Amino acid sequence: MIIVTGASRGLGRDICHRLVTAGHEVFGVARSVDGLPFPAMSCDVGDYEQVKAVARQLKADKASVTGLINAAGVAAMNLAVTTPRDTTERVIRINMMGTITCCQLLAPLMMRHKSGSIINFSTIAVALGLKGESIYAGSKAGVEGFSRAFAREMADFGIRVNCIAPGPIDTALLRGITSQQIEKIVSQQIFPHQFTPAAVSDIVDLLLDRRSSALSGQVFHVGGV
Amino acid sequence: MSNVKQQIYAEIVELAETENLAINDDTPLLSDGSVLDSMKVVSLCIALEDIAADLGFDFDWTSDAAMSRSRSMFRNAGSLVDEFINQMNTKK
Repeated sequence: MIIVTGASRGLGRDICHRLVTAGHEVFGVARSVDGLPFPAMSCDVGDYEQVKAVARQLKADKASVTGLINAAGVAAMNLAVTTPRDTTERVIRINMMGTITCCQLLAPLMMRHKSGSIINFSTIAVALGLKGESIYAGSKAGVEGFSRAFAREMADFGIRVNCIAPGPIDTALLRGITSQQIEKIVSQQIFPHQFTPAAVSDIVDLLLDRRSSALSGQVFHVGGV
Repeated sequence: MSNVKQQIYAEIVELAETENLAINDDTPLLSDGSVLDSMKVVSLCIALEDIAADLGFDFDWTSDAAMSRSRSMFRNAGSLVDEFINQMNTKK
């Protein structure tokens, strides 16, 4: 079973679709799970007790978990000095604390099997230091730092931990961003064009596959930086 | 010594990989002089989950206090056994 957070929309939904189509058993985690065509549980990843309830349920079900994809996230495109405090706290709570909490509470489901792959989501904004994304980039920089150290902690248990750092992928997360702004960002990538969710799912496929058994503690920038 | 305590001590000895290791209630698990490193403590937790499952309850080692040095169930072998038995009695 592969657990996917943020399963109801954006990259998480596309990743779930790809995995289900490929025959994987997917368990979705999202605030709203109505209508999802695979087993799922409602959960706000920024709420420790709700994540713990998911872990408890999967443990009770004796779920054989082989992968965890932490795709849940929120964006905040604004200058830091004009970002409201509650927005800042929400971005940090969901993006950084949510990822850390899911790793803390769901990784033990894989540790007993001494194998597994955890994929966390960062952003190209960390590497590029994008203006107007400081809060978002800060939350994701935390994810990257955590993931690199967590990869070392999980290595003894045969679990790999990596990050995917997309640029401006065409999802609902980009709502409100102009095409000029997107063009300005992608022009800084090695491949200076906007990528689709399918490109991200391709990297997910690779990182879940045994052929990537030598990869851990890495950040994969979609489009390159 | 209770059967549960014997089982837990046996797991600690196996993970410690130290010859002629004698475990008692005061044997430290997550502090100076610990017989296990932190990764082996995690392995011990997973082994305790299995023992708990055999006994019909869910052993929770991911609580906020679990890894706290001052309050942790991992202070020593005795506190771990106490917590395990407490959860067993509460949850069964």
